[in-house]
Amino acid sequence: MGLINDKAFDVLRSIPYLLEGVGITLEITVIALVLGTIAGLFLALCRVYGGSFLHNFAVVYSRIIRSLPLLVIVFMLYFLGSEIINIPAFWAAVLALAMHTSAYQIEIFRGAIQSINKGQMEAALALGMSKYQSIFAVILPQSLRRAIPYWANEATIVLKDSAMAYVLGITELMRRSEYVSARTAQPMLTYIVSGLIYLIMTYAFTKSMAKVESKVRIPGLER
Amino acid sequence: MEMIQFFIKIWPELYKGLLVSLQLSAGALLLGLAIGLPMALARTYGKGLVKTLATAYIEIIRGTPMIVQLFIIYYGLPDFGILLDRMPAAIIALGINSSAYQAEYFRGAILSIDEGQGLAAQALGMTKSQTIVNIILPQALRLVLPPWSNELIYMVKYTSVAFLIAVPELMARGKMIITQTFKPMETLFWVGAIYVVVLSVIAKAVDIIEKKLAIPGFQMSRED
Amino acid sequence: MKGEFLMTEPILRINNLHKKFKDTEVLKGVTLTVNEGEVVVIIGPSGTGKSTLLRCINRLTEPDAGEIYLGEHKIESAKSNLTKVRQRIGMVFQDFNLFNHLTALQNVAIGPIKVKKMNKKDALELAMRELERVGMADKAQNYPAELSGGQKQRVAIARALAMDPEIMLFDEPTSALDPELIGEVLEVMKKLADAGMTMVVVSHEMGFAREAADRIVFLEDGVIAEMGSPEKIFNNPEKERTREFISKIARLHGSDSEMPGTGS
Ligand SMILES: Nc1ncnc2c1ncn2[C@@H]1O[C@H](COP(=O)(O)OP(=O)(O)OP(=O)(O)O)[C@@H](O)[C@H]1O
Ligand SMILES: [Mg+2]
Repeated sequence: MGLINDKAFDVLRSIPYLLEGVGITLEITVIALVLGTIAGLFLALCRVYGGSFLHNFAVVYSRIIRSLPLLVIVFMLYFLGSEIINIPAFWAAVLALAMHTSAYQIEIFRGAIQSINKGQMEAALALGMSKYQSIFAVILPQSLRRAIPYWANEATIVLKDSAMAYVLGITELMRRSEYVSARTAQPMLTYIVSGLIYLIMTYAFTKSMAKVESKVRIPGLER
Repeated sequence: MEMIQFFIKIWPELYKGLLVSLQLSAGALLLGLAIGLPMALARTYGKGLVKTLATAYIEIIRGTPMIVQLFIIYYGLPDFGILLDRMPAAIIALGINSSAYQAEYFRGAILSIDEGQGLAAQALGMTKSQTIVNIILPQALRLVLPPWSNELIYMVKYTSVAFLIAVPELMARGKMIITQTFKPMETLFWVGAIYVVVLSVIAKAVDIIEKKLAIPGFQMSRED
Repeated sequence: MKGEFLMTEPILRINNLHKKFKDTEVLKGVTLTVNEGEVVVIIGPSGTGKSTLLRCINRLTEPDAGEIYLGEHKIESAKSNLTKVRQRIGMVFQDFNLFNHLTALQNVAIGPIKVKKMNKKDALELAMRELERVGMADKAQNYPAELSGGQKQRVAIARALAMDPEIMLFDEPTSALDPELIGEVLEVMKKLADAGMTMVVVSHEMGFAREAADRIVFLEDGVIAEMGSPEKIFNNPEKERTREFISKIARLHGSDSEMPGTGS
């Protein structure tokens, strides 16, 4: 009963073991974020500037993926793996997280791109830049800055959602917490400890992204 | 054709799961509202310890995964002699999770009702609490509708984590069907399709309600 | 007055230009030739197609029919030559459209760097010279949001000049400015005209038009209603409509606006 008892020490002694799981949690999160950001940004560009095929693809992709629970995507990729090509559990989780976040990131980047005054593009074209040059030299540097707070929020969601990799038996923080909880018979204390670890990570990340945001802020501009 | 026959076969089971998912979402949203709104007021208007506690509550919940919250409530509370059934445990965990997000939506809406409105009411002789109840909240509640409907859609999706403590909701039924039929892709296809259809219907309905309730020329920007 | 300039070649020829947006016909056959070194000021009521005409010249808007030649070169939308043609045409917008994420200096240098592939060092030197030309050298390191409207517009002019254009288009360059900032921009434009730049200017600044224009074009309802020297248009226009419009803008803008040293 209660948090403080003779077995509580067992949980504390397991912290290094949990921290090894943090390494895997971060690995999953970072890879999923990189892939999801690349896909999300690319599809956002398709959605705003693409021809009708690419535009429609991005719209439908975003709609459908955002309607699917992450767990459904995780299992789809996992079983797709077992049925057709063999996707290891780790990659099924990473790809599912990447797909899931990419759909939200399409909306984040689309909003950021469309929030840039269209005169910016016209001025770039009028100088003789190609459309690609205009997008990469003028539109993206501004819209990416605007996207930072929304992207940072999305990134913490990916970090938290990475806990769902637990269902595939990947020994990240959540799965290790379960082992520790079972071994020590101290679920409350164990999950509070792992909750704290997640909290520290999301807090540190949010704070550092706020630093980044103010560092790249355009002087004089509101946002 | 085969797919459709399969669907007809598994639909009754999935339908039961869907109802559980919807019950979970509704329960969690209401609980989230009941906790979230006071938290928003406490964080916005509270002083000292009240404000600090509300802020800590909101930030701790938003900073940790939903699964951790679920496991603390379902596996952790029994350490303190509190044993909950799966369904109430899931509703409480999802509700607590939702409350932190709802609190932030409400706070955003309350803050965006310009100070002028509050000052004007106080100039009429209203007390602070009269102002909040009569002037600020009615406007904030309308303003909060778009982010709140996003939360609704989020909630329906995230009820699927209740599967992890074996609540027989849609995802869990799907998983059971997979074990019985050995048809994972077909089953997941239909589970996914149900989520897509249900969420589209909800999104559409919310859209209509929002248009009905909108105060002309008065809106908080919507993120998606 | 620049009337005595030797006007050699036509540099811009617009022939029978048509443009429709949905059902509304905005340009209904505009034909206009601009000679090298000439300053043409376009006036006309709101919504009459002035901006559309300018934007058709560098194809920010795609015309429906008619031809435009820049020198011997027919302007078409085949991508291959469009960016080439746009390099030769400078454009200055009503709301400046400076690139918000770049300093004044970078704003001016980006065209030469990205479009002309000039190396960075040369481009920055060139940009500095252009900023000096418009009197903005001391704000080279400032971002657009840190500049006043007049300063922004002068940087925008420098940005266009850095591409060494053969012709400059101005779309109401001073109408988004506070009255006290209009003078500094008109002054820069006047200097540019005196230096022999070919300019097509949509503007209702009467002082500037009188001083700098070689020709005034009165555009109304998508056609050129009347055109001629400033004296003719301002003092004895052929058409009653022109006279009415002139007196209307004289009332709105003051007959001789903030043109420095105009004084009359
Ligand atoms: N992209 C567009 N789509 C639809 N209609 C347009 C578009 N651009 C311009 N128009 C319409 O074409 C007409 C002419 O517009 P234009 O901007 O060329 O007028 P203007 O003479 O420059 O007017 P102003 O003095 O107000 O700037 C207007 O009625 C305008 O509403
Ligand atoms: Mg115009």
